[in-house]
Amino acid sequence: METRKPTRRRETEDRRPEGLVSPVEGFNERARRAVRDGDLHDSVELFTNKSVAGRNAVLNALPEAPGLRERAYHIKQETMANLDRYLGQMADAVEGRGGNVFFADTGEDVVRYIGDLARRKGAKVLTKSKSMATEEIELNRRLEEDYADLDLEIVETDLGEWIAQLAGDTPSHIVGPILHMNRRRIADVLSGVAGEELPPDVEALGSFARRRLREKFLTADIGITGANFGVAETGTIATVTNEGNGRLVTSVPPVHVVVMGIEKLVPRFEDLSVFVRLLARSGTGQKLTVYTNFVTGPRAPGEIDGAEEFHLILMDNGRSELLGTEFEEALYCIRCGACLNVCPVYRQTGGHAYGSTYSGPIGAVITPLLKGGKEAKDLPHASSLCGACWEACPVGIPLHDLLLKLRNKQVREGVAGKAQGLAFKGFENTMKNPALYKISGKAGRLARKPLAKAGAKDGIPKTLPGPLGAWTNGRDLPELAPKPFRELWKEGI
Amino acid sequence: MADRAEFLEKVRHRTQRGRYKPTHAPDVAWTPKDEPPREDPRIEDPPARFLQELEALGGHGKRVTNLGEVREYVLSLARGREAKLLVRWDVPELEELGADGPLEEAGVEVAVWRGLEDFREVAGKADIGLSTAEWAIAETGTLVLEGGRGKGRSVTLLPPTYVAVVPVEKILRTVPEAIEKYAAGYAAGGAAGLPANVCLHTGPSRSGDIEMSLFVGMHGPGDVHVLLMG
Repeated sequence: METRKPTRRRETEDRRPEGLVSPVEGFNERARRAVRDGDLHDSVELFTNKSVAGRNAVLNALPEAPGLRERAYHIKQETMANLDRYLGQMADAVEGRGGNVFFADTGEDVVRYIGDLARRKGAKVLTKSKSMATEEIELNRRLEEDYADLDLEIVETDLGEWIAQLAGDTPSHIVGPILHMNRRRIADVLSGVAGEELPPDVEALGSFARRRLREKFLTADIGITGANFGVAETGTIATVTNEGNGRLVTSVPPVHVVVMGIEKLVPRFEDLSVFVRLLARSGTGQKLTVYTNFVTGPRAPGEIDGAEEFHLILMDNGRSELLGTEFEEALYCIRCGACLNVCPVYRQTGGHAYGSTYSGPIGAVITPLLKGGKEAKDLPHASSLCGACWEACPVGIPLHDLLLKLRNKQVREGVAGKAQGLAFKGFENTMKNPALYKISGKAGRLARKPLAKAGAKDGIPKTLPGPLGAWTNGRDLPELAPKPFRELWKEGI
Repeated sequence: MADRAEFLEKVRHRTQRGRYKPTHAPDVAWTPKDEPPREDPRIEDPPARFLQELEALGGHGKRVTNLGEVREYVLSLARGREAKLLVRWDVPELEELGADGPLEEAGVEVAVWRGLEDFREVAGKADIGLSTAEWAIAETGTLVLEGGRGKGRSVTLLPPTYVAVVPVEKILRTVPEAIEKYAAGYAAGGAAGLPANVCLHTGPSRSGDIEMSLFVGMHGPGDVHVLLMG
């Protein structure tokens, strides 16, 4: 067999056609707008605080949690090192159970496969259970546009995703897609669909959604889900939902299609006991999600419900390029959202500022890697590198470290601009040379006065002039101590 | 469109380029910040623990000693919910229960999960679903539901009220114990040891998508009852 050498892509290459929801340019501007939005701030604060409290309580109560985290990391490490073998095993297992398997290089391949399947089946209504992988490739929009002649009705069935779909909005959190909307806004959106005024009341809004979506569940021709985990050994797909929509979408329609990122594999069925517990506890502060559903192929002989036809799409869409690189650990992510909830940046800006399907620390890591292009260049800087994300991650992904490596890569590839590269080079030389270091401190103190005059508040300079201003556009210049530590030390402090 | 061999070869090539070996095993102590009461890892009384966990989730649980009590519970529930149609699994345990006759007498039609022309019609209209469960998990208040002949997935899912009857000897302590059953089943019997569907069902269906306020009974049953027998 001929070995196809993967071409090395530069980060500046635009991969939008396969891409994540665009644009990802201008994080700083969107973040600035977001922090001025008081309602948004309240919503994000409510969600993240509750999530963190729930997660801490339920994880701390599990004595073996640290051990589970360790195991999860090593299971994922083993999976990635042998991913081709496990993918092959999974495909064999699914086919052995009478299912179909399709390998998709790109999002485009996924759209084609599902569109053609819908045409073949004469499908009209497609119900979907929440799936970030399909959000990533904008499956709904592209099916509606590219297969306009089929007049497909694609219905998101997770309450939050449905409301976002109706509002023409995108999810702002992996777990809480519409945490940015308050109940008055939700009532507006649902009233538009109901054709009558619905009160901004959770009972009324939830009941309306239940009735309306129930009709869709019962008439759907095809059900589409993502996969929280796929088991190589058995060909099992695990999906978790609290609402029950995941189980409905896989139980009622005659056809079930799974869109699974290739990194969602775990080798053995028993590995699920590590991951389903970590996911529920880290994501929503539950011991177990209400419906933790394992589907292995189509319905068995003698069964009356469950899909008669089962299709598994194994989607790459840029993921395999991370294998064997310093960014491989980003593929260990189980999409629990815990890193978003603890991130001091996410907690101020919410998810939309990231301009990508994936927000928060994990979004800042994988968006530039999966999407590429200059558009995502701001994201690795949307972090204080405090490491709270790493600490919260149930799989132990060193997110802050990956962000730093991404910044490094930007400088290497010239994405960050020459000035920054030069500045860091200068910093390096200064730090290595005591004499230079001493002079630089004095120069800094001398420069304070003119800088302060040049436009600072309270007589303290907050920004740097000229090309150096790029550094202080997104941060304040820290005040220098009146006397350097070096001199204090000499004086015996 | 990708060919399987080509796709896997691409992946293999990338896993083996060997430029980087991840070294960062998680080495941060994992957040035991303020110590809440720890869960009892021994679970000395599994049925009691199961009922306690289920109640905490907003479900209803009861320990009963004989089939008569189960019949009575189902009947009074059907009356209380003003049920017109109950759908149940077609399994020997529920035949033996003998609740169909008394339910019909009380004006509740009973549909059994066999030979249905259109299951959506039945399960979608039923007021109550009734099933057994393969296992129950004490640690989490979970029912382990298997798909199979006579065991409709929709029975446990579409009706707004759902009742499960589980013998106490079917109670496992922890989630890993339950998952291990199927891992072992697969290891021993291949596909036959792992049903096409296994669902860990834990309490009433719920959503927190609107301002994190709890809405119960989102798409599945919001009214969940488990009878532990024996």
